[in-house]
Amino acid sequence: MSDSSLHSAGSVSKPDTIFEVENVSVSFDMNRGHSRVVDDVSVEIERDEIIGVVGESGSGKSMFAAALLDAVVEPGLLSGEITYYPEDGEPIDVLSLDDDELRRFRWEEVAMVDQGAMDSFNPTMSIEEHFRETILAHEANLEEGMDHARELLAELYLDPDRVFEAYPHELSGGMQQRTLIALSMVLKPNVIVMDEPTAALDLLMQRSITSLISQLRDKYGITVIFITHDLPLVAGLADRLGVMYAFDFVEFGPTYDVLKDAAHPYTRALLKAVPNTLTPLEDMRPIDGDSPDPVDVPRGCSYHPRCPLATQECIDSDPSFYEVHGDRERLSACHHWEDAAEAIPYSLSTEERV
Amino acid sequence: MNYYLRRLWQAVFTLVVVIALTFVLYRMMPGGPIEQMEQRMIDEAIGSGQDPDLQYIRRMVEIRTGIDPNKPMYIEFYEYMRDIILYQDFGESINSGDPVFDILFYAMPWSIFVSVYGLLIGFTANIVLGAVMAYYEGSRFDSGSTIVAVVLNSIPYYVGAVIMLAFLSFQWELFPTGGRYWAGTEPGFSIEFALGVLHHGALPIMSTILIGFGGTALSMRGNCIRVMGSNYLRVARLRGLSDSRIATRYVGRNAILPLYTGFMIGLAGIFGSSIIMEQIFTYPGVGWYTFDALNQRDYPLLMGILIFFSTVTVIGVLIADLTYGLIDPRASSNDREGF
Repeated sequence: MSDSSLHSAGSVSKPDTIFEVENVSVSFDMNRGHSRVVDDVSVEIERDEIIGVVGESGSGKSMFAAALLDAVVEPGLLSGEITYYPEDGEPIDVLSLDDDELRRFRWEEVAMVDQGAMDSFNPTMSIEEHFRETILAHEANLEEGMDHARELLAELYLDPDRVFEAYPHELSGGMQQRTLIALSMVLKPNVIVMDEPTAALDLLMQRSITSLISQLRDKYGITVIFITHDLPLVAGLADRLGVMYAFDFVEFGPTYDVLKDAAHPYTRALLKAVPNTLTPLEDMRPIDGDSPDPVDVPRGCSYHPRCPLATQECIDSDPSFYEVHGDRERLSACHHWEDAAEAIPYSLSTEERV
Repeated sequence: MNYYLRRLWQAVFTLVVVIALTFVLYRMMPGGPIEQMEQRMIDEAIGSGQDPDLQYIRRMVEIRTGIDPNKPMYIEFYEYMRDIILYQDFGESINSGDPVFDILFYAMPWSIFVSVYGLLIGFTANIVLGAVMAYYEGSRFDSGSTIVAVVLNSIPYYVGAVIMLAFLSFQWELFPTGGRYWAGTEPGFSIEFALGVLHHGALPIMSTILIGFGGTALSMRGNCIRVMGSNYLRVARLRGLSDSRIATRYVGRNAILPLYTGFMIGLAGIFGSSIIMEQIFTYPGVGWYTFDALNQRDYPLLMGILIFFSTVTVIGVLIADLTYGLIDPRASSNDREGF
């Protein structure tokens, strides 16, 4: 299984890498066995990009996100190597930081916007207090920090004065989500990990938040790792997509290329399952079979039990990344990526086109 | 503002209904105070060899109880309430002839002293215990304390009181077996008097702490664990807040909030339990007189005590209701809509 890292994912030798993740695993010891919810993941994240991490529920996306901040919940075990490259200064080995260094690393360098914005604020504390305590905890200049916070809120189309004096329950879901984004950026981090930030919101609010994220990225030059199960949502936002299946990445590539001509059977099946207005209902297919159990991941290629292209080779050896059409930016962890297009056809509605 | 007025009006209404109901029930009770007193006087007359003069006895009873059997009940009730509101006149105790107000007024500080200290100490100890249990969730200390809390919660406080009295007072003579202060001391601001009060109050206070001990600790433990598992706590940790801030401003505050109303209502429960507790410790507070009044069917005194208990309860709940909005912004009455 570990030979999948022979060809490190996304190993485009661009000099400007901000995060380098190597052979990272997260495991839990459960009564019925050893559960690996992130399985030997290797990926490089480039400075100032928006990378969309897509996968079905339970594919290890959120754990991967937590791993980047070394914030895997107890009793999860995180192993591997995560290196963070600040703009200037020495690379930081995230997993060997001591408690105090980690406390500073989080939010000052890498911030996180969690799944449940509605539940991310202390219900008995005003929003202003949340910003103030965060700034003070990091010994930053309070006045400058609060000014920056006001600026951020205004950019997210919120009225800073009213939001500041409000309590969390007085804000709508969309407002809480935008406030949380502002809170994550108040210490001017370089990376923001967003874990399903729009899951609880309606479609219009989702769209408006993704476009705000994109504006903020352009203005402040931040790297965004956007994790979602919603393929069409990231399509318009991400520069690059990483598709996760069974606790590891199976495909990487520029968003447009992946959507137009996915090179992994799973990605293709996923795109086929996404509802759109052009595909007749009878042509839409859920992916057959069940998603794998983290205690008992199939041998070889983890997708082989559900894959129409699976051969003995897929059972025997776990595929490493192949360069698709000789393009170094496009990687697919499938022995038969060349046949995938023919075997699993799909069409995208025009509005999903990038 | 509207909300406060409405709440106040509800409280007053509740109080009046409770008083009216009890008033009626006492009057209709078979073997009520009038019949009892009449019977006693008839017995006395027969005992001394006289022919009982029913006419005369009725008049005597009427004078001593202040009840005119010929007046309709609602007029009686109106007059009773009028006397209370206008003249603070709760009538006189049938038994001792003293004004009910005076009896209550002298007994009340002692009961309040014991109850408030018992409640405060008990509540604080429970909250600290619950928080520590939650912090060491799943440890031996946690499961051990849970068992102890459940056991203590199941033992009635009066059993605890009797056991404490038997061992700490009679067996080892650490505490006096009854009374409110040393017989030799003059009530007043003197050290001997204060020490005596503390010494005599210690056991009643301890047994008050026992009331519901453990229950609050278990609730606190549950609340703490719930808050510690919440998403906002995870985000607070990611934001790099200090442990002390998270413990006080996040876990502590949010876990104690739901217990607040229970604390105010608990005040009433503790006054109620003082009836038996003060009897056990021979501690002449309100509860002591309640028991006496029950035995003697001294019903003006009973009515007075009932009004006192109901008022304390209603005021406790009212204060809890009105102030909850101040400590928990989610419950504040002037709900602003999202803007």
